Amino acid sequence: MLAFTLRRTAIALVLVWLVATLVFMVIHLIPGDPAELLLSQGGVAPDPAAVAELRERLGLDLPLYTQYLNYWAGLFRGDFGVSLQDEHPVASEIALRLPRTLELIGAAAVIALSVGLPFGTMAALKPGGRLDRIASLIAGISLSVPVFVVGTLAILVFAQKLGWVSAGGYVALAQDPVRHFILLLMPASTIAVGLGAVVFRVTRSAVLEVLGRDHVRAAQARGVRPRLIILRHVLRNALSPVLTVVALHLGSLLGGTVLVEYVFNWPGLSGYLVRSVEARDYPEVLGIVLSISVLFVFLNLLVDLAYAALDPRVRHA
Amino acid sequence: MKALFSPRFNQLALPGALLALIVLTVLAAPLLPLADPVKQMVNQRLAAPSPGHLLGQDEYGRDVLSRIIWGGRVSLTVSFLAAFCAGVIGTLLGLVGGYFRGIVELMSVRLAEVILCFPPMLLALLVVTLLGPGAVTLVLVLTILFTPAYARVAYAETLSARTLDYVTAQTALGATSSRVLFRTVLPNIAPPLLVQFSLTVAAAMMLESGLSFLGLGVVPPSPSWGLMIRAARSVMEQAPLLLLWPCLALAGTVLLLNVFCDRLRDVLDPRGAAVGVIPAFLRKSRAAALPQATTEPAPGLVRIDNLTLSLKTPAGPIKVVRNVSFGIAPGETVALVGESGSGKTLTALAVMGLLPPVITPVDGSIRFTRRDGTVSDLLQLPEADMRRLRGNDLSIVFQDPSSSLNPVHRCGKQVAEAILAHGGGSARKARDRVVELFRRVGLPDPARRANAFPHELSGGQKQRVMIAAAVANTPRLLIADEPTTALDVTVQAQILDLLAELKSGAETSGMGLLFVTHNLAVVRQIADRVVVMYAGEIVEEGPVGEVFAHPRHPYTAALLASAPESEAEELAAIPGTVPSPAALPPGCHFAPRCALSTQACATAHPDAVEVGPGRTARCIRPMEVA
Repeated sequence: MLAFTLRRTAIALVLVWLVATLVFMVIHLIPGDPAELLLSQGGVAPDPAAVAELRERLGLDLPLYTQYLNYWAGLFRGDFGVSLQDEHPVASEIALRLPRTLELIGAAAVIALSVGLPFGTMAALKPGGRLDRIASLIAGISLSVPVFVVGTLAILVFAQKLGWVSAGGYVALAQDPVRHFILLLMPASTIAVGLGAVVFRVTRSAVLEVLGRDHVRAAQARGVRPRLIILRHVLRNALSPVLTVVALHLGSLLGGTVLVEYVFNWPGLSGYLVRSVEARDYPEVLGIVLSISVLFVFLNLLVDLAYAALDPRVRHA
Repeated sequence: MKALFSPRFNQLALPGALLALIVLTVLAAPLLPLADPVKQMVNQRLAAPSPGHLLGQDEYGRDVLSRIIWGGRVSLTVSFLAAFCAGVIGTLLGLVGGYFRGIVELMSVRLAEVILCFPPMLLALLVVTLLGPGAVTLVLVLTILFTPAYARVAYAETLSARTLDYVTAQTALGATSSRVLFRTVLPNIAPPLLVQFSLTVAAAMMLESGLSFLGLGVVPPSPSWGLMIRAARSVMEQAPLLLLWPCLALAGTVLLLNVFCDRLRDVLDPRGAAVGVIPAFLRKSRAAALPQATTEPAPGLVRIDNLTLSLKTPAGPIKVVRNVSFGIAPGETVALVGESGSGKTLTALAVMGLLPPVITPVDGSIRFTRRDGTVSDLLQLPEADMRRLRGNDLSIVFQDPSSSLNPVHRCGKQVAEAILAHGGGSARKARDRVVELFRRVGLPDPARRANAFPHELSGGQKQRVMIAAAVANTPRLLIADEPTTALDVTVQAQILDLLAELKSGAETSGMGLLFVTHNLAVVRQIADRVVVMYAGEIVEEGPVGEVFAHPRHPYTAALLASAPESEAEELAAIPGTVPSPAALPPGCHFAPRCALSTQACATAHPDAVEVGPGRTARCIRPMEVA
């Protein structure tokens, strides 16, 4: 397991290097002068003086390799540059907001798993039954409604019409823990709608598939109690495919937070990103995209390690 | 093309027609008598539906219906265009990468996959930052994002298509690469790409509307569903309907696309629609309509009478095992022999109560004498009681030890389960017992093997583990269902020795053994009596020595003559195949393959007749068999 962990971590580090380099390269890969592109609005050519100034501020006038070295030197110092709008250091803003986004993702994953796993299992144990048909229908619809539509409609119903919760916002945990979690509930549930439907579907098909395997029949032949068979020999084995598919959806999950944070005014990393893109504040966007992509790589690493913990065969692969 | 006329295809009709309606409506938008979608009438802002404006007017007094249709036009155009561009580029990359492999693969498929290292929304925002929002940027971004998915699908499909015989043949005949790729490989991989296309359109619509909702996609005043939802948010208190219409349009279209895609996949790849097998322990009732239980004491250990098993099929039930009767005495080894499909394994599974759900007993009884001397009909026992017998009085060793062990649990733990399931005391005691059992079944270094995962053991060792689990509670009857078929020949002999040794051991003395096999050499080596099955019924039964020396049924004789171990000068294969249980020949079921068959054989189904002490055969001319 240790060798496996080390190998996977090494691969993840290579990926981080790749991702960081790619993020660095994006601005240079787009045809045309980046500074000019950033300043042009609706096809109107920007003021040459402004372009020259921006080019100097972003260091775009230096040779490419110098820029690349400076970029890495900055990353190692934890310096992501300063905002074009207010000269505020990007790294400190990210450090402040990243935990909030992580909390949102974590809460959404907990909700999605705690709904999707049991319902998926129950549906698979009686395929074609009433619960299976209803839950499958709900999952099918949930997967088709974009996350911002769910969020907006949730606000309309629960905040505007019923008045149960406020439409969004954020209160620090230290300030008011109860209110903090109440405000967390709606955005987290919104993300969990789609994710839960995914978990439900994968759990259902994974459990159905495992139920037909020989080792389940063998456990039965040993006289193992039904409940233990389901837990130890069916669910335990079905977790690996569930994990794989959840990992595949990590990307869209992280993308979903962008919209959800915007809808619910959640001051996380992703909402910050939208503001930066609107202002076309390149250093900010670069820093955030880099942090979330690196986060993405590490979440995938976590999934890989969890996968190995679940299936002993993987550790030796 | 046949698939297009199957009933499954009809499932495509409704979502397909609705989708076509949506596409036609947005395409015809300029021709429809719609109000100008961008014309503002501020004095009529948020007006309720009226004859001129069927869905009312928005916060600038613009016609909502018109904006929905024109907005759909923008959303669908962007999504289809992006899905198409990504499809063309991705398919090309995948085709080329999968066909040429090597460095080409690295430069095409693997390069495209780098995009997957980023969450899609973020990459989109990064590009929007640089290029500014707008429909052109959207198409570009979505194309970049969805190219790797196509490349992967095309790559995987090309890899499998290029090894097909006729593709190889074309290359050998000197066809150019491009000809092979576009004329032969591409049509072959088109179905999964078609599914990918509809998936991509739905995903692109979700992303496009999301970006527009953030104000970073379609630029106002062009209508778009995402933009409409964004605008309606600010006035949702006064006009909630304004929010509802674009939400419905967007979610409804995506839902239709998803349903269409699911059904398309079912049509193109019917294998995916198969439903799994639900094991018996999840079913409450077992036997449905059986005659009254027979509880007279069984002569011997187990007595099967008139066992008839029925298979549920779409065309109605088929009796796959008919009127099987035989018994096993304590300490006796009975071999159940027959070709694949003869019903021998089903008979064994019926004794264990482990029949697959599509097969049910419809007649007969299986009387079993337990350790405490009580007799019960196993077909009538409730599942909970049956569970207490399994792995306890009654045990089974399956054919393939590799798939019978759960790969994620240690071997010792799985054997301990059998002990603990039948009140074997503490977990500690069970662990000690497992090590003792492992030593008994001849596993080297038993303590370490108990801690090993199944994949760390060889096939023979795994079967020893399965045998250890089966004998853990000193069963009265051990069923071995082709326990050596999946193993190497040298290992086979060791496993047979182990079974023979276990039977003679003091602890398991008196244990009956039902050995299911198609291997006659094994029968001679291990069994006391042999039961030969053909096409779902017993054709001959008797002591091994006598049956082997003087078979009284032509099928037994033919089996013996075809076995490589037989003493015959020349091996004789049995002509023809086992008949399908749905189309059994009238009269004797073996008659069409029998060298001795006469006119009478084809008309009347023979009964089993006694042909000697403890011997029966289902043949009208048993004494003529040489």
